Amino acid sequence: MKEEIVIKFDHVRKQFNKLNHKTFKEFLPALIRGEKTVESFTALNNISFEIKKGETVGIIGPNGSGKSTILKLIAGVMWPTSGKVKVVGKISPLIELGAGMHPELTGSENIYLNGAILGLSQKEIKQCYNSIIDFAEIKEFIDQPIKHYSSGMYMRLAFAIAIHTHPEILIVDEILAVGDNAFQKKCFDYMEQLKKSEDVTIVFVSHSLGQVEKFCTRVIYINDHKIQYDGTTTEAIQKYSTDSENRNQ
Amino acid sequence: MLLLFKEIKAIHKWRELLWQMIGREVKARYKQSILGYFWVILNPLAQMLVMSFAFSIIMRIPTNSAGNIPYSIFLFVALLPWNLFANSLSSAAGSLINGLITKIYFPRTIMVISTIMAKIVDFLFASIILIIYMVIYHIPININILWIFPIFFIQQIFTIGLSLFFAAANLLYRDIQYLLSMILLLWMYVTPVIFPADLVPERYRFVFQLNPMAVIINAYRQVILAGGPPKYSSLIIAAVLSLTVLILGLKYFKSREKIFADNI
Repeated sequence: MKEEIVIKFDHVRKQFNKLNHKTFKEFLPALIRGEKTVESFTALNNISFEIKKGETVGIIGPNGSGKSTILKLIAGVMWPTSGKVKVVGKISPLIELGAGMHPELTGSENIYLNGAILGLSQKEIKQCYNSIIDFAEIKEFIDQPIKHYSSGMYMRLAFAIAIHTHPEILIVDEILAVGDNAFQKKCFDYMEQLKKSEDVTIVFVSHSLGQVEKFCTRVIYINDHKIQYDGTTTEAIQKYSTDSENRNQ
Repeated sequence: MLLLFKEIKAIHKWRELLWQMIGREVKARYKQSILGYFWVILNPLAQMLVMSFAFSIIMRIPTNSAGNIPYSIFLFVALLPWNLFANSLSSAAGSLINGLITKIYFPRTIMVISTIMAKIVDFLFASIILIIYMVIYHIPININILWIFPIFFIQQIFTIGLSLFFAAANLLYRDIQYLLSMILLLWMYVTPVIFPADLVPERYRFVFQLNPMAVIINAYRQVILAGGPPKYSSLIIAAVLSLTVLILGLKYFKSREKIFADNI
């Protein structure tokens, strides 16, 4: 059986144009004076990799190395400056949980709102509505505005909605750093299940090397906006650790 | 044109999200204050009363050739759609400055359009006063009142076109929205909202022809208060201008769309 490639980065370069003048009022005089109005900053430089269906890939690297930019390119909210990004399949971005949830609306209303933002139809949401509430364990609070929720309840609800979108690609960014141990364990148990099903591809970003080591089967290590290593988990983590130590000296 | 059809198709595909986003705006505002929608009605009512006092009792602006229409109704028929236009534009201009844009993909135009649609809901509530008012003053209406639907449609085409442009521009330079509020203030005076169009000297009236909002406001008055059909030639010019604005606005929006998330 031929292995299917679901995410493909082909010589991807991402450059941000930082505006020196944040307002139109400043921009016009600067333009007339002939000043440079834009400064560019390269976040990703010539990145190429492929991720196959069913893989669980970790992305590690120091702050500002471009990890989040890669996730945003995969999620389709950013476009590369040059090169190609190809993604096949339905994505559920856990980049930030609960995107678009409104504090004044009730838990139930937010399930429909957030579900729609994640691309679910009303019918699909109705079908998994009870299952979402069960997973989030918020049955008795479902008709209250979520501004009265504790942050743990909020996270559980958001995570529950996100996983019920039946994603083919799950993008997980740092989110598991928050929430108590019981919640973290629940999330990992769930993701372990997805891993076993082999239909779901998971891209996992974390600063917790322990989590990455336990969970991922392959790791891409990024530093200085380039891929430094792409391969086995142990080796990637080792390389990253040595690099960080060298840097600290 | 092709761009427009493609976008309409994309929005249609995501229509459930559109409804949810409109519901979110409307419900959230309703829940925030105990009086809820009362404000949506009270605000234009207060505005109308103050302006009526200023312009009909102090400045004595005549209403129309028809003459027997009270100034407050004359004003309100124009003020409601004008407020809808102005409120839609200023809220839409800020609608993209929203964390969602860096998190999840969906057609970005939905953010602009849902904002405008929520304003239309407000407008419908505020229109209740106008209807009550017209009943009290026994303003006769006839079949020509049905013209308000195509006129309203043209107004929305124009509003969406401008909103797409300002929303995208405001993401790059955040002070565009202040520029916009200044433009809207001036614009109201080149549109016959508080005065009748025929009060303006003939040689300046061509400005109204080129200003779709002027044509639209005049047409509302014509079909609601005078009971006659609108001036077709002006309305067609306004419709063509509005469609052009929509296509250009969408084109600009689409050309900037790929860097929206970079600029949040």
